[in-house]
Amino acid sequence: MFGARKLLSALATSLSFAMLAAIPAAAEQGVTADSITIGAFGPITGPAAYIGLAGRDGATMAIKEINAAGGINGRKLNMIFEDDGHSPAKALAAVKKLIDEDKVFMLFNVAGSNGTIGTIDYVKEKGLVMFVSFASAPGVTWPFAKNLFRGGTTEVPRYGELYAEYIVDGLKAQKIAILSGREEYPKNEGDALTKQLQKWYKITPVKRAEFNIGDKDFTPQLLDLQQADPQVIAFFGNPAEAAIALRQAKELGLNQQFFVGTTMVDQGFLTAAGPAAEGASGFALIPLLPGSSNPAMKAWRAKWSAEYPNLPANRPNIFDVLAYADMYVVAEAMRNAGKDLTTDRLIDALENLHDYRVGPIASPRSFAKTHHIGNLRLQPMQVKNGEWVQVLWESKRPSDILQRYH
Amino acid sequence: MTWRIALQLALSGLSVGSIYAIVALSLAIPFKASRVLNFAQGELVTLGAYIALVLSSYGLPYPVMVPATLVIAAGFGILIERLFIRPIVGAPEFTLVIATFAIGLIIRALIRIHWQDNVFFLPAPYSGPALAVGPLRVNPSYLVIIGSTAALVTLLVLFFQQTRLGKAMRAVAYNQTAARLMGISVGKVFGSAWALSAAIGAAAGLLLAPVAGINPELGHLIVKALVAAVIGGFGSLGGAVFGGLLLGVLETYAGALFGAALKEVIPFAILIAFLLVRPNGLWGTTQVRV
Amino acid sequence: MRLAHAAIAIAAVFSVALPLFGSEYQIYLAELILINIVAAIGLNLLTGNCGQISLCHASLMAIGAYTTALLTTRLAVTYVLALPAGVVVTTLLGASLGYPARRLSGLYLALVTLGFLEVVSIAIEEFPDLTGGVRGLKLAKPELVGLLLKDNALYFFVLGMTALAICAGWNIQRSRYGRAFDAVRQSVIVAQALAIPPGRTKLLAFSIAAAFAGLAGGLFTAVVGFIDPTEFDISASLRDITFIVVGGLGSVAGSVVGAVVLTLLPETLRGAKEYGDVVYGVILLGALVLAPKGIVGSLAFLARRRDSKGGLT
Repeated sequence: MFGARKLLSALATSLSFAMLAAIPAAAEQGVTADSITIGAFGPITGPAAYIGLAGRDGATMAIKEINAAGGINGRKLNMIFEDDGHSPAKALAAVKKLIDEDKVFMLFNVAGSNGTIGTIDYVKEKGLVMFVSFASAPGVTWPFAKNLFRGGTTEVPRYGELYAEYIVDGLKAQKIAILSGREEYPKNEGDALTKQLQKWYKITPVKRAEFNIGDKDFTPQLLDLQQADPQVIAFFGNPAEAAIALRQAKELGLNQQFFVGTTMVDQGFLTAAGPAAEGASGFALIPLLPGSSNPAMKAWRAKWSAEYPNLPANRPNIFDVLAYADMYVVAEAMRNAGKDLTTDRLIDALENLHDYRVGPIASPRSFAKTHHIGNLRLQPMQVKNGEWVQVLWESKRPSDILQRYH
Repeated sequence: MTWRIALQLALSGLSVGSIYAIVALSLAIPFKASRVLNFAQGELVTLGAYIALVLSSYGLPYPVMVPATLVIAAGFGILIERLFIRPIVGAPEFTLVIATFAIGLIIRALIRIHWQDNVFFLPAPYSGPALAVGPLRVNPSYLVIIGSTAALVTLLVLFFQQTRLGKAMRAVAYNQTAARLMGISVGKVFGSAWALSAAIGAAAGLLLAPVAGINPELGHLIVKALVAAVIGGFGSLGGAVFGGLLLGVLETYAGALFGAALKEVIPFAILIAFLLVRPNGLWGTTQVRV
Repeated sequence: MRLAHAAIAIAAVFSVALPLFGSEYQIYLAELILINIVAAIGLNLLTGNCGQISLCHASLMAIGAYTTALLTTRLAVTYVLALPAGVVVTTLLGASLGYPARRLSGLYLALVTLGFLEVVSIAIEEFPDLTGGVRGLKLAKPELVGLLLKDNALYFFVLGMTALAICAGWNIQRSRYGRAFDAVRQSVIVAQALAIPPGRTKLLAFSIAAAFAGLAGGLFTAVVGFIDPTEFDISASLRDITFIVVGGLGSVAGSVVGAVVLTLLPETLRGAKEYGDVVYGVILLGALVLAPKGIVGSLAFLARRRDSKGGLT
């Protein structure tokens, strides 16, 4: 049979090649006398592009500023960015390319959970530091890994803690209904809230309804919720669905207060939902939203607009700010690590950071030897007169999250 | 389930079904005019919606914006046909289908680069608070969608039955070679077919803009539209519309009775059931070749 | 024809020697290409040879991937057994598509396969305790009789499996089943006249395609180590179809060429950054316009024309 013989012989030869030496472990790389190379990846094509593009642009702006101010201990920062298309297979390709071909010193992850989970095992094996700015996937911080750090987004259970405390203690509600989308992040938010309501307050949601991503009608779910007569409706999904759901809720006569997930606490939700958003509350991942009139944010926006004059609507968004702030966190740790920069010294420096932030536009980051959860704070906000405004409410209950790290 | 809920579900089902109906209508057109499954039809709806968005951002009043959108969309349709479809018109069927998929991808990606995945709702003059019919509520935009769809179906049926171009399209769809032998310019017919598909797609986009949200993934509605077209039968324009409305109602009731998971499965269960039992749909005029 | 033999020899040597000089990234890419080759061969037998449209090839890959993954993670079955088990399960489920294929064709068959795709997707999401649902499933590196399949060992395993798949595809095409496929594609009536049962032939074609897809899916779990339903959606199915359309319908060489070119293309387009999808679409269209019969199909066509111009035929 033509082909079979040739291929069989190729197989035989290849099996003998299989005894070849193993690939040597990655040594210190990406650091030269005058530069540090950071590898970054995230979705810049596909439906999640608004995350990766913002991550890339925010990080790039931070690097530009840092370099203009003299760099880190005499070295300039250099970032190579790869697309992951929001696909785990492509994310792994991006990471392998960055580590093995581009020889980066560390990874700056602006990929969200989809692109992150598949790369964790590989990065753990390689030993490079990966600083995860956006993903909330639990695998980044639990089980504990020496070289993985989480920056901007907080732990999934923490969302549950803050949401539960705010709804029960801040909004003074006992009858709570949850409407969540059947996608990873909204589902996580919904599950975490349910769990925490039970754990801390012995409250069970009066109703938990679900919808599918891309749904254009929420009547069945809303009628169901209406029957349960809640005081607060928690909605977890995307701005597109939130806008329709909130509008339909008003139409059907549901006048309850809405509590929305972090994806909605951004300008995009306001653009989409219009007047139906009024009165909704939620937690923001950053202390000041890009549209805020706070002087520090206004100054930052001016810098951003100068850097990116032609960008699409609703940019900068929260991911621009998060990536910018987290890049400064990484840079600060690198600076503290000193001239002799190695992965171990960077890990040490990160773990010794306490409440570092680049300015009022960021929330403080702290790491420790026992856990690498950088941020446990979220900012409660409410829509007033068509804008997200800070709510003066502080969480009083200490978090349970860190208990398992002792 | 009380009467009020049952009726409200029916009304909401017809409302969301009207969205499926207009997209299904826009899908039935290229099929009727050229017998090609156009994977880019969803993107033609999206394109129409974004054209409307751009025009309205220039402050054009609604009665001007609507025809302008349709004309510009038709222009895009002709352009796409001339540049990308004409060169491969003799190719195997699969090549054409993949070509339409590529065109859809390009349109979607370009839109995404400029507008990202922001969602925009474009209010129309008829947008407003929900109308009250006793204890029931219905958003007026849906009534406009249903009315406009009905009107379009009538116009299109007349077009295909009575006008020269319409009859030529049907001839080309039926048998290209014979049509050519009869002196019909197949190239011109294809161009017109794409122009019409784009225009009807744009009409769908315009009608959806106040209620469904304009974003790059709007074209995903094409999947539901396919189910609607199967229910109604691919050759029948009115059937596609009926299929959309029926699908909306069935989906809504399924969601209310069985939850979100089943709501997602129902369209495909119906699809497979129809294809196995009655592939021609309820009013289909096309023969199912084996 | 000499050229074809030379090309195959070069490709074989290159793929075997790759671990000597390739980076981990390149080896990973090669593994993805090999997986796509396996999937493409199966789809080409079904669509290119037998003429049956399938929009659900990716979900067949998903079934293979999830079966293999669940057996190894939940039931601690060793990979070397889980992989063929995945192939078997996928083949059985894929065979079920033979039933609608008996009575439908063209657009209607495509829609049935679309329905199948969506139902599989929903099924994966609906049992999160089993499949990980929308959060996906992470897998440990597989073992092959004690040898941990990673790095070079994994690469050669995938390469070996792909070689087997290419052999199998080649032989099926040239067997009487392959000829039956061609007959059914050209004309069901003529096939019946030749005593070829169209219904059973289509069933066989769907089953074979499913087997290849199941193998590709099982290999995918080993190479990527993480699966979730979004990797196996309608775009993935359409991508598989582009492999065979651009490569060349009805030929194993076409499947190989198409899978290689279109798996490498998005990676080479990394420089286009956020315009990657646009450039990909344009190149795809260009390929279709310039080579409507596919790369291999067009090359064969040109070769025939050149041969016939030579005079002696």
